[in-house]
Amino acid sequence: MRRFFPSFLLSLLSLLCFSPYAVVANPSTTSADSTSVSDSRSDYHEQLILRPLPLSALLASFNFRSNTSLSAFEAHNFRFFPRSLGQILQHAGTRELHLRFSLGRWDAESWGARPWNGAREGGTGVEMWAWLEAETDEEADHKWLTLTNALSGLFCASLNFIDSTRTTRPVMSFQPEGNHIDANATNMHLLYGVLPHEVVCTENLTPFLKLLPCKGKAGIASLLDGHKLFDSSWQTMAIDIRPVCPEDGECVLQIEQSIDMVLDIDRSKRPRDNPIPRPPPAHEMKCNTSKPYNAHDTCFPADSAANQDWSISQIFGRPIKGACPLTDPTVSPVCIQVPDSRVVFASEGAIEKKNPDQTSRCFDFPAENDFEIFLPAPDGSVEVVVDQLVNKPETPLLYAERSFTGHGQERGGVQTILRNPSPDQEVEFIYMESLPWFMRIYLHTISVRVDGQPGKADDSLIHEVYYRPAVDRARGTQLEVRMTVPPASTVFLTYDFEKSILRYTEYPPDANRGFDVAAAIITILNKDQSVGNSRFAAYNLRTTTLLCNLPTPDFSMPYNVIIFTSTAIALAFGGMFNILVRRFVAANEGPENGLKKGVNKLKAKLAGVLKKTKKGGDKKQGSIFAAAEEVTTEKTE
Amino acid sequence: MPRLLASALSLRRDPRLLKLPPYLSLLCIVVGVVWLFLLPLDDYSRRTYISENALLPGQVHTYFGGSDQNVFRAYKHETDELADKGNIEVNDKLESIAKGLGLKVGRQNFTYSSAGNTHSGQNMYAILQAPRGDATEAIVLVAAWKNVKGELNRSGIPLVLTLARYFKRWSLWSKDIIFLFTPDSIAGPQAWVDAYHDAHDSSRVASLPLKSGALQGAIALDFARETRFKSVHIVYDGVNGQLPNLDLINSVNHVAGGQMGMGVAIQEMWKHSTSYHDRLQTMLRGMLKQGLGLASGPHSSFIPYHVDAVTLQPFGDGWQDEMAIGRVIEGTFRSLNNLLEHLHQSFFFYLLMQRDRFVSIGTYLPSAMLVAANFTIMAIALWVKSGQPEVQEVITEKTKTAEEAEKIAVPNPHVAVERDLNLPLVVVAVCHVLSVVPLYLFNHLSESALIPAFVLFSVLSAILPFLLSNLLHTSTTSTTTQQYNLIQSFSLLLLGMFLSSLATLNFSLAFLVGVFSAPLTFVRPCPNSPVLKVLSMIVLYVLSPTTVVLVASVLPGLDEKVGYGLGEVLKQAAFAWDVTGTYTPVVVWCVWWPAWIAGVVSVLGRPEAAGEKKVKKA
Repeated sequence: MRRFFPSFLLSLLSLLCFSPYAVVANPSTTSADSTSVSDSRSDYHEQLILRPLPLSALLASFNFRSNTSLSAFEAHNFRFFPRSLGQILQHAGTRELHLRFSLGRWDAESWGARPWNGAREGGTGVEMWAWLEAETDEEADHKWLTLTNALSGLFCASLNFIDSTRTTRPVMSFQPEGNHIDANATNMHLLYGVLPHEVVCTENLTPFLKLLPCKGKAGIASLLDGHKLFDSSWQTMAIDIRPVCPEDGECVLQIEQSIDMVLDIDRSKRPRDNPIPRPPPAHEMKCNTSKPYNAHDTCFPADSAANQDWSISQIFGRPIKGACPLTDPTVSPVCIQVPDSRVVFASEGAIEKKNPDQTSRCFDFPAENDFEIFLPAPDGSVEVVVDQLVNKPETPLLYAERSFTGHGQERGGVQTILRNPSPDQEVEFIYMESLPWFMRIYLHTISVRVDGQPGKADDSLIHEVYYRPAVDRARGTQLEVRMTVPPASTVFLTYDFEKSILRYTEYPPDANRGFDVAAAIITILNKDQSVGNSRFAAYNLRTTTLLCNLPTPDFSMPYNVIIFTSTAIALAFGGMFNILVRRFVAANEGPENGLKKGVNKLKAKLAGVLKKTKKGGDKKQGSIFAAAEEVTTEKTE
Repeated sequence: MPRLLASALSLRRDPRLLKLPPYLSLLCIVVGVVWLFLLPLDDYSRRTYISENALLPGQVHTYFGGSDQNVFRAYKHETDELADKGNIEVNDKLESIAKGLGLKVGRQNFTYSSAGNTHSGQNMYAILQAPRGDATEAIVLVAAWKNVKGELNRSGIPLVLTLARYFKRWSLWSKDIIFLFTPDSIAGPQAWVDAYHDAHDSSRVASLPLKSGALQGAIALDFARETRFKSVHIVYDGVNGQLPNLDLINSVNHVAGGQMGMGVAIQEMWKHSTSYHDRLQTMLRGMLKQGLGLASGPHSSFIPYHVDAVTLQPFGDGWQDEMAIGRVIEGTFRSLNNLLEHLHQSFFFYLLMQRDRFVSIGTYLPSAMLVAANFTIMAIALWVKSGQPEVQEVITEKTKTAEEAEKIAVPNPHVAVERDLNLPLVVVAVCHVLSVVPLYLFNHLSESALIPAFVLFSVLSAILPFLLSNLLHTSTTSTTTQQYNLIQSFSLLLLGMFLSSLATLNFSLAFLVGVFSAPLTFVRPCPNSPVLKVLSMIVLYVLSPTTVVLVASVLPGLDEKVGYGLGEVLKQAAFAWDVTGTYTPVVVWCVWWPAWIAGVVSVLGRPEAAGEKKVKKA
């Protein structure tokens, strides 16, 4: 890479005229949190936030938001709001909808807190929850079915597989995000469904982009390419639709589409025509020359994660094709969160705006030109501290890791390790599991143990448990636990379960792979809800999914068993039956049997046949006469 | 049918029928043993094949090499520097390297105690999270700091580190890759796998701070040599004779033998000419290892958890370098990475004859089953015999007329004799209860006490039958032939039952114990023939469990010139019992030994005729 660097830089320089250190113009709202509650009256805006993360990763958060007034929505008057989705929502009586497509895992240890505080992400696979307007539960179920089937077609996802066994009605974990006049009314039904095994791929991205006003032809959406998006270490696509009522003015229906992805810079920079990570030529390797054995054929690799240079077109394969003309001009379309000390080059015509917090800057650029950002590597000669290159990641409120315990095909256990990194604040949260019906949990085994106090269950940490047991083949287990983790401690939440045996036909084609168990959802409650902060959850996180191995038959076995048992039964039954119904008599008492009997029979038959042939002619005549007589008798009568 | 029944019924009463079982038993044993020797023939063994199509072994290009060799050399220097350092220091260094590669690192302490010794250490492992995956599945690459022979894994450790760095660059991994560094080859991996499945005793083994998904497979690398090599040796025996899925061995075979063009050996058969002799030798070596049930490498501990694993050992002098074995591992990992389902297609029960020939369970099982069945047949025969009036074999009183003698000699077969079950049941139960003593002793004594304990136990075990026999003879109710028959019947019944069940779990162990205890079927109380008695005693004492253990420990091993020695064998057995949970001692002391005691007791038996007894009583 190093060898190509100068030529690459030159070509960039000739193409674009860099304007480093542009004057801070207008420190507007750019951080991830503040944008979520910004101006709701502008009809459409989009923003891309780039945040380099430690270990040569880059978080790219795309956010698209459009509003339509409720009156216009009800009058089928769509402008920025996608018509296809709007009609489905109206048809299914949906008041609020959240849809998530996710892949990979967020590495909280190195990347810190999640973007949007975890509010815009789902567990691996597809996740969806909605508030439906319905009078009864049955009506809600029916509308839910309509909604999932329609969305399944729209997003090319198997959402129609969200049936009753995969649907739950969470009680504590979710609160509506939008402003509903009758938020707690009985006709609002929350339904939640999840498909952990669904593989998210390009066919889900295309319909997602089609919902955008600029489609992916212009603006930041032009960077979204299936090859890059689905090569990322972690990505989540989210659609959130909710009614928003500002204090002054008309209620609007807001659709917020967001894509968050973590790209591996090394991997993304590989050219598309040569993606194989062949070992680089020896002279291109960065070696740690301080090692005594360092030689031309011996190279202790230097930490390559530290100094990374990248540009948008290197990472995404293309520059941004100008700003989307429909977007709100007051919101900068691209922001990058790096310390102010780091040099960032942008293409000509772009205006750089630095934020006062010294950790981020935004760029405005015209719709006509391509836009490009380039971050050069800092001076390689100096040992650079990572803190100068990337913002220090924020510590999340809670770390969670879930895994199976035990082995074998009969029983198992689930263990969730919850770690509170804060030295003085305890964390209160709701832990929700929606398990498939074939994992029958033993609720009495649920226990909480604080690390360092072995063998001592501390049930005082659990405040509330909501449990809805599974019904075989009809619905899954739903478990919601409200609990706290004391400051600076690790808590183990464990429970045991039994694996049930499925019917022969209920196994999927790849039965030996195991069954995916959806991610557990952890909703950390917002403590100061009174102080005007209406947000219900302070932070959301999801664990990874699990793979549960059920007892799987050898599928050629039923065949063998059927044959074997049939044979055994035929032999045993046949013999027994024979003995039971036969009467045993002495040979001379019984009827003749064997060859003699056959011979006698044959003799009798032969004699009969001979007789018949003798009488043959007379018999025929006789029969005709008889028939004639019958006819005559009938007539006389 | 009725005629058949009638004739069968009449046959039942035929005294000639009772003469048949010993011959039938002998036939079973002979056929069983001959069967085993037929297996290496082309007609009875099959060529191996890949059942799981998803594996596609050897179908990918491997790119490991080039400048990675420079990195390998650097890591090798680092390893060499650590050669004399302590476990913690080694792990500190390995951890810093793994963290520099961007891997998640965890450590685990463990302490096992066995035979008075403490085996403690610290495992270090690094998880390469699948770049686009979720933590649902994982594959493991193990490098033990010291191999089974205690040699430093001098090339293996740096090679695994280099591979970790290389694998990190690929984005195609669908499963997490765990790099496990253990201080030794048996206890470390065992502690780690136990803890991974939360099956560990938390007082001895620490829990893992970091976990991934379900383990789908594991490869261990034992690469102590520093020079170029020729072939690769696949070690596949698991604890208690469990084996990995044959598909895994076949995949390695395909990648190493087919794609890389290096030789592949199994069961320490460094040269294999595919002749009958070599095949038989390979098979017997495999059976011996399987029968012993000891862990044969870092992979062994994985197999009981249904994680298929093998150890690769480069050997021989040739031109293959470290990068070649690296590419073998790369190719195998790419195959494992392809797996959609857990390995389940191919065989879990097989005997390998050579790298690409095997015998499946359906073909070899009858052999051990026949040997086990001979005990059951004899047990049933003795039971039937005990139910019939005794035959006065020797008629001493000449005053009796010939007719009278005939009357006595041919008893009425329709008259069943009541069986006296109490004494035989007590004798057999006492034998089995006593068997707890050696099991406890040899697994709980300290190392220095093992040899004296064994000698003492051998002597006691040799005397015990005499004591028991005297007790039976001198007790107020002396023992009859019927009771001796019943003692043998129960003992053989148990032996046959245990061995036939064991044959499905550990074929080789069942077969070996079955063959060693085969004489027990044929020995009878012979109070009137001292020659026969002495002969039976000699055979039984030569094939006694204690003698076999003693002889086996001094006989030279597979590739050594001298035996391990009794102390070492006992220590290893205790270690296997305490750490890996090998159940071979249970089979030897609690199945074989009681049967042997019961057998010797009946040889020494001096049965009294039922008539005599009555006279005595009267």
